[in-house]
Amino acid sequence: MGKKNTVVISSSDDEDCGRPSRVKRSYEKPKSRSSFASTNPSRAKKPRISGSRSCVSKSLSNVDEIRLAFEDFNEVLNGFKVSSGSGKSNLKELWVDKYKPRSLQELAVHKKKVEEVKTWLEERLKTPKDRFNNCVLIITGQAGVGKSATVHVIASHIGAHLCEWNTPTPTIWQEHVHNSSAGINYTSKLDEFENFVERVRKYGLIWSSFPGERNSSIILVIDDLPVTTGRMAFERLKTCLVLLVRSTQVPTVIFVTDYGNEDSSDNTARWLEELQLSLQSAGASKVAFNPITTNAVKKTLTRICREEQYNVTAEHIDQIAKASGGDIRHAITSLQLSCLKPEQVLNMSLSDSAPSHTKEEANLYDGFSLPYGRDETLTLFHALGKFLHNKREAENVAALDQETFHVQEKFSRLPLKMDAPEKILCQAHGQARPIADFLHENVLDFLSDEAMDDAWSVTSYLSDADVLLASFRGMLARHNEAENILQSAGASVAVRGVLFGNSHPSPSRWHAIRKPKLWQIEQSSSRNQKEMIRRRYYACNISSLPEASVMATEYSPVLKWLGYRASCPKTHDLLMQGTDTQDENYEKMGIDDQESEISDDEIEDW
Amino acid sequence: MAPLLQSSQPWVEKYRPKQVKDVAHQDEVVRVLTNTLETSNCPHMLFYGPPGTGKTTTALAIAHQLFGPELYKSRVLELNASDDRGINVVRTKIKNFASVAVGSGQRQGGYPCPPFKIIILDEADSMTEDAQNALRRTMETYSKVTRFFFICNYISRIIEPLASRCAKFRFKPLSEEIMTSRILHICKEEGLSLDSEALSTLSSISQGDLRRAITHLQGAARLFGSTISSTDLIGVSGVIPQQVVEELYVACKSGNFDSANKEVNKIIAEGYPVSQMLSQLFDVVVEADDISDEQKARICKNLAEADKCLVDGADEYLQLLDVTSNTMRALCNMPQEFSFES
Amino acid sequence: MLWVDKYRPKTLDQVMVHQEIAQNLKKLVTEQDCPHLLFYGPSGAGKKTLIMALLRQIFGTSAEKVKVENRNWKVDAGSRTIDLELTTLSSNNHVELTPSDAGFQDRYVVQEIIKEMAKNRPIDTKGKKGYKVLVLNEVDKLSREAQHSLRRTMEKYSASCRLILCCNSSSKVTEAIRSRCLNIRINAPSEEETVKVLEFIGKKENLQLPPGFAARIAEKSNRNLRRAILSFETCRVQQYPFENNQAIPPMDWEEYISEIATDIMKEQSPKRLFQVRGKVYELLINCIPPEIVLKRLLHELLKKLDAELKHEVCHWAAYYEHRMHLGQKAIFHIEAFVAKFMSIYKGFLIATFG
Repeated sequence: MGKKNTVVISSSDDEDCGRPSRVKRSYEKPKSRSSFASTNPSRAKKPRISGSRSCVSKSLSNVDEIRLAFEDFNEVLNGFKVSSGSGKSNLKELWVDKYKPRSLQELAVHKKKVEEVKTWLEERLKTPKDRFNNCVLIITGQAGVGKSATVHVIASHIGAHLCEWNTPTPTIWQEHVHNSSAGINYTSKLDEFENFVERVRKYGLIWSSFPGERNSSIILVIDDLPVTTGRMAFERLKTCLVLLVRSTQVPTVIFVTDYGNEDSSDNTARWLEELQLSLQSAGASKVAFNPITTNAVKKTLTRICREEQYNVTAEHIDQIAKASGGDIRHAITSLQLSCLKPEQVLNMSLSDSAPSHTKEEANLYDGFSLPYGRDETLTLFHALGKFLHNKREAENVAALDQETFHVQEKFSRLPLKMDAPEKILCQAHGQARPIADFLHENVLDFLSDEAMDDAWSVTSYLSDADVLLASFRGMLARHNEAENILQSAGASVAVRGVLFGNSHPSPSRWHAIRKPKLWQIEQSSSRNQKEMIRRRYYACNISSLPEASVMATEYSPVLKWLGYRASCPKTHDLLMQGTDTQDENYEKMGIDDQESEISDDEIEDW
Repeated sequence: MAPLLQSSQPWVEKYRPKQVKDVAHQDEVVRVLTNTLETSNCPHMLFYGPPGTGKTTTALAIAHQLFGPELYKSRVLELNASDDRGINVVRTKIKNFASVAVGSGQRQGGYPCPPFKIIILDEADSMTEDAQNALRRTMETYSKVTRFFFICNYISRIIEPLASRCAKFRFKPLSEEIMTSRILHICKEEGLSLDSEALSTLSSISQGDLRRAITHLQGAARLFGSTISSTDLIGVSGVIPQQVVEELYVACKSGNFDSANKEVNKIIAEGYPVSQMLSQLFDVVVEADDISDEQKARICKNLAEADKCLVDGADEYLQLLDVTSNTMRALCNMPQEFSFES
Repeated sequence: MLWVDKYRPKTLDQVMVHQEIAQNLKKLVTEQDCPHLLFYGPSGAGKKTLIMALLRQIFGTSAEKVKVENRNWKVDAGSRTIDLELTTLSSNNHVELTPSDAGFQDRYVVQEIIKEMAKNRPIDTKGKKGYKVLVLNEVDKLSREAQHSLRRTMEKYSASCRLILCCNSSSKVTEAIRSRCLNIRINAPSEEETVKVLEFIGKKENLQLPPGFAARIAEKSNRNLRRAILSFETCRVQQYPFENNQAIPPMDWEEYISEIATDIMKEQSPKRLFQVRGKVYELLINCIPPEIVLKRLLHELLKKLDAELKHEVCHWAAYYEHRMHLGQKAIFHIEAFVAKFMSIYKGFLIATFG
């Protein structure tokens, strides 16, 4: 603690000269600021170095000070790993662990949800086992919304014992190769998990593993599911879990971490969803945890500050809480990091909301420009919102000043009220393809009704982008590098095309950003195609393969038209089924649409 | 049950000249090369010229005449474009082949058998520039024991350092008489009867490419038997009857979009390959004497673009329609710019 | 069974439309020397019918005993193995498949199947080795690489198998392959020929055809024989006895596209564009190939346009159809075309009517 204090003091020394220069710098090129936006501590150092350089007079003492601060920092980092001892003033513990909620009151999770989980667990533990045929609870939610904390607290509250399955340390392939000569077999995580579940199903939990607690009740907790790559592995995991749900006698809690919904092009997210559904249909109950509200995060942070005896301004806490995006674990870590040098953070955040920007904009930035901001899924929507709303300055100042570069009237546009689109893309961690798809889906809403020419130029640029993004079919040399350049070029064309093409943005209105419908279309189209190919042999019953396109354009309309009753009832059934499934698809799509519209982020007018 | 498979050797192979002096129509080349054969002193060589003019034939004939059938296998390496020819292949295959030592320059069995090996690189212009550069080094390293024969259509696609190391021979397209005499020779051997109209059709559709002429002849003979008419040859070759092309051209001239569209539909329904249509339309346009150079330029530019699109897999109907519409605009002096373009 | 299949000629002698070609093919195989063949021509011209009849000519009735199976191949491609699944149709003597169904992996399919066929060659009664026939559909949709590897494999295994290639446009087949095959162009049957076939079927089915009725179907079917027969059958189900002015039901998707065209002509705005997108999606869900959507849309639009606009519109249709092949997602390009059209048409309306 003592050491810590000196650091704080010396750094506030630095503040006297460092602050103005830093603030000034941020006027000059505010862009460089946000490029440091990262939770990565090694990056977070950089501002300090540059700050100290700008202040030549005190450079020596500054350097010393920085070194001190770094040592301090390192100590903390080391402390992360060691994590020994306890006590209030011990720096060597993560606050996340230290301030783990100990009681139900301390939980930042919404009371109703906690109560729900608690009653569920109590019911299962107190009443005889065969009363309930569902003994599994699934808790879903983003990372860091307190899923496991809740269960831990509840368990200690009702005096139950937790038995956890955590994914074991994976065996690295090289290690396996090395070991295999020694006769140790490679077991994948999935194998181990299967074994574990098998054991639990067959023998229940073995009491002897908890000596002395024979009478206490036990809750089985499955924290991280093994990572599955590929359909096969996933199917195995699914059947294994479904079996568990059907047969287990022990109350079991499974955590499923949601990933951001913008990843839904990715298989993992889709599979997880599918997994949940199949588990629920097998009889599991489900509780979904929402991101923790900013207020709750703030409350917790304030409590920690109080206990740590740090004086952090409410505004600062507010910013951390907002930037955390409902991830309390992240918020606490940010707080701990910032408490190493609270002024630093304050400084940064001040310079961001410095008068050159409006208050609104500062809010915009806090998604990523705060050094401790969480890289959150939200920013993809923010970025899309920026692109689509296409805010521009009222007049072109630069062009008036220096008349160096003239463009034709119809090509000139007012300067953008945002960073370079590429940078925003980079911050949003958006992949080119989904971004193009999102823009394509939504951009028409943002065009004014009269602007048909704009609509054409936007769609035309999107078509360009699609050409760039299509990896050359069958191209032998797949150089990753070239592909990357193509990808970013494609994204750039898409975004800039949307910005440029939309020359008369429609008056600001509220729009929900929709998920690209295209993805569903593609899926159901390929499904229908498979179905058709499967069916075509039975329906046509000829000795030659008809082409798929012919099938779609000529045979199936006629078959549909004929209803094809008399001669071949079997085919008729098949066809009817076919149309049924199609209708279902439509219906399903309709539902999905509604859902996505509700769950989509509400992009307000910036 | 399964029918027998006769050895159906392509006539192109069957009637390939075995001696350099038999190569048709390339007199200067033959003269120089015969000289080479007599002294058995042979530089690196580069044969270029349009397809089907006897380049490969000449190279093979030289190799055969130098080494004879016995040594041929061990002394001559043929690589053509259907082999995989990355840089590595060039390096390893050629290295392996070239690094095996050859015996002394003894005459064997009446063949000169000079003390070097021959590597024949067919279709050398389809090699990548990198591979060609790699080859240059290889040539230097093994220059004592190997001779390279490069064969290509376009000399401009051979990098300068390679070309400058070789004696260059240009093969010119075959004249009609040479072609006719050659064809008649084959017809006699195979027992075919060709009337004079068919004969002139054949030489016009093959455009100085003897190999194509022979391939068409064989195809027609297989499909239609021993009496072959001019229309049979056109059918087999995939060439579009001139009349069809003319009709399209006239429709373009008429300036009526709908009638041109109908014409295009007809061509598609008849199944004529559009790329062929483009090249024949090109001929018609270039030879037409009633239109200005500017009009020709406009049309040709569009033809080139459409051809590229077809290579990329674009739809034939739409491309041909686009070409037709553009040609029509050029011929009828409609403005090139679209009036309602934003 | 549909009439299309019921009245499909089984042998080369029964062929009604391309009689001359059929006779030539017959001559070709009786000479016991069958080269590789490449059939090309528009859809519905009778390529497949001729091929099936040809196979029967070569192998006898055993070519008709076919089984359909989903085959899996494991291909070793350097560092990884690729799993391929493809539907094939095979008899003792021939295999038919559509390699382009395998998408990017098409070239492996071609190599593997030919290799495999070369391994188990059929042996005839005299103990001599025969050959198998491989029928490849839609070769024009094969990637360049696949075509290239096809060429090499053709040379390598020419002793053990014969290829029959089938495609719509021979422009998209490389010169190298074309020059190694005997090219056979199958033109679409003329309207008179179509009428003849329809009348033949009508007679077999004991139908009374009012005069000119078959001609109307033929005219509507755009020289596509398969389509003509299909709509003939639909008419029969719809109403019999036929009436001379009976409407010939169009394909549902074509009607839908003509609706889209009407929509486009009525209003040109981003909002309308968005609605059109929804409709195009519906077509794509039903597996209507995007290039056909675009072509049909152009057709419908051209019907309603003034001559001066037609040039421009067809240029852009060609332009965006080309882009569609370069890109990945067809909807982007179809939509760009529609937007371009709307923009042009709006400009035209303003210029004409102020």
